[in-house]
Amino acid sequence: MAIKYVLLAAVLSAACAGAVQAQEPIKVGLSGPFTGGSSAMGVSMRDGVKLAVGEINAKGGVMGRPLVVVERDDEAKNEVGVQVAQELINKEKVVATLGFINTGVSLASQRFYQEAEIPVFNNVATGSAVTKQFPAPNYIFRNAAYDTVQSAMIVEEAIGRKGFKKVAILADSTNYGQFGKDDLLKALTAKGMTPVAVEKFNVKDTDMTSQLLKAKEAGAEAILTYAIGPELAQIANGMAKLGWKVPMIGSWTLSMASFIDPAGPNADGAMMPQTFIQAPTTPKRKAFIEAYQAAYKVDRIPSPVSAAQGYDSVYLLAAAIEQAKSTDGVKIREALESLKTKVEGVVTTYDAPFTKDDHEAISGNIPVMGIVKGGRVEAVDMKDLEGDKALRVKPKG
Amino acid sequence: MEILFQLIVSGIAVGMIYGIIAFGYQLTFATSKTLNFGQGEALMLGALVGWSTIRYLLSLGLSPMPAYLLMIPVVLVFGMMQGAFVELLGVRQAIKTKSEAGWIMATIALGIIFLNIAENVWGRDDLSFPSPLGNTSLNFFGVRVLPMEIVIVFGAIGMMLLVELFNRTSIYGKAVVATAADRDAAQLMGINTSRVITFSYALSSMVAAFAGIMVAPVTLTGATMGASLGLKAFAVAIIGGLSSGIGVVVGGLILGITETLTGYFISTGYKDVPGLILLLLVLSLKPAGLFGKTAIKKV
Repeated sequence: MAIKYVLLAAVLSAACAGAVQAQEPIKVGLSGPFTGGSSAMGVSMRDGVKLAVGEINAKGGVMGRPLVVVERDDEAKNEVGVQVAQELINKEKVVATLGFINTGVSLASQRFYQEAEIPVFNNVATGSAVTKQFPAPNYIFRNAAYDTVQSAMIVEEAIGRKGFKKVAILADSTNYGQFGKDDLLKALTAKGMTPVAVEKFNVKDTDMTSQLLKAKEAGAEAILTYAIGPELAQIANGMAKLGWKVPMIGSWTLSMASFIDPAGPNADGAMMPQTFIQAPTTPKRKAFIEAYQAAYKVDRIPSPVSAAQGYDSVYLLAAAIEQAKSTDGVKIREALESLKTKVEGVVTTYDAPFTKDDHEAISGNIPVMGIVKGGRVEAVDMKDLEGDKALRVKPKG
Repeated sequence: MEILFQLIVSGIAVGMIYGIIAFGYQLTFATSKTLNFGQGEALMLGALVGWSTIRYLLSLGLSPMPAYLLMIPVVLVFGMMQGAFVELLGVRQAIKTKSEAGWIMATIALGIIFLNIAENVWGRDDLSFPSPLGNTSLNFFGVRVLPMEIVIVFGAIGMMLLVELFNRTSIYGKAVVATAADRDAAQLMGINTSRVITFSYALSSMVAAFAGIMVAPVTLTGATMGASLGLKAFAVAIIGGLSSGIGVVVGGLILGITETLTGYFISTGYKDVPGLILLLLVLSLKPAGLFGKTAIKKV
């Protein structure tokens, strides 16, 4: 590991070509699944983070010191996440950690950071409980659209904009699916609605006929989903088998490649909240997309949301360290909670995004609804991203 | 009415998959009174080897149907080798030393090793398996069926009939039947029973691998696809009876159909419960299974 770190530092300083003097680097931890079912999100997030770190170092680093990323694969497993946390804290002595794709891993790991008073930036995990695990002083921050925000958007899209009267909920039996289902039910109740069917399935179920037939017979006009990619593909394919097609509207996992690719043409029309759509609607987004494509030689970013949020999380952290003039965890947390500089990110412009009690950078007005079209995610309504709506900023207070 | 038929048809397709995997359990149990607890992994390996083969054949410019047909023998041979490997490494020694539980741990351990190998070779993401018959469903009086589901039903029955036919007519098959009837007597008659047992393991994994390539196009293919199927098939083997070929088919259909019917008429949250209740009932009332023969163990 030591060799890896030395090499990384060497590469980075070579890339910066003397922009940063031989200062002691600032170590930032990065924990995420880079293999397995969530790897598309993990890898995109990591690539977004590295892109931002490279840019910052090229401009002279933070407080004149280069940033160095110490990345570890948590394999989307809670126990591995815990090991990674302990290694990053005790052995690598990171000043902060970015990452976490999976809510479970996040909840299991961040206890150690809280105890060590080291800030954690959740840039992808969406479980509503993530930032509410500890009372103030809370070291857990997030710049991803959490489930309460997402479920409200899903319901608004189905009931408010599309005007459906009958909807069915299909959620998997994991914590992610069941907590999401509860959030959806609350959002529906707030609109004075009850779903015509609430169905459950297990991860790896091969047949969705019963669930889909129940929704169909109940007259559902749309299916609201909370599950992950592969089973979402089973739902889309199962609907095609039954010769029944109603819109699928669900959490942001409907933008995962593991849904879009196996479902193929059946994925078309699926809608989900997105904090970022791969479209150059602001100069910053255009620059980000072009830089990402050039650096990683891809056309379609595997998970644009994860990449953008990963990228933004680095700039937020850098701004806080700069303001704190220190790498001390307590001072960084205080700086984050009273950030004075506006941070221009890809998702939004962060103007005092956090307070002592509010550690969520993404508010309900920021994400837009995305839709799958021909294997890519586009905005349901491009007008959502035009003119003064292109940049949606968290309201003050 | 249409709904009931739709549920039953989907249940039959799922049940036949359980049935054919359970048939594999039955094959080795008959000859050696041991089981391959890595049966789900044998199915998974079959599907993944099939996936790689069909991808290779498609890259040569073949169309999906001939590629699929050409892939079948490759997978069957691979399945046989994999099964024989499991027997040689995990079971043979346990049988020789009359170990009661050695083979249980050994086959489970081999299953985990296969799972890890598959994760490293094919990755941990689910892959989509090209369907030879397309994904457009056929409509029979309002009941919709995927062509591949029909293949599953007839493929499973066909495979089981072939194995039975082989056992009843060929000289090698007679050796299998003789070993199943009485291993010691068969050995005294000059049958190499340990080779017969290896062969039954090979057949068992071959059947599982075949099930893998049939189920792969209608579901997702990946290293973890076998785990829950292998477990459900084990329940089926217990319900139907480990000593009966027809029992596992009926057991599979019972479990498959109760699952879809429960999912629709009761709750999808309790989909697996009635099948497991049935399993408990069978275990307490007729431990040899619905179709099993109760053997009297003389001491």
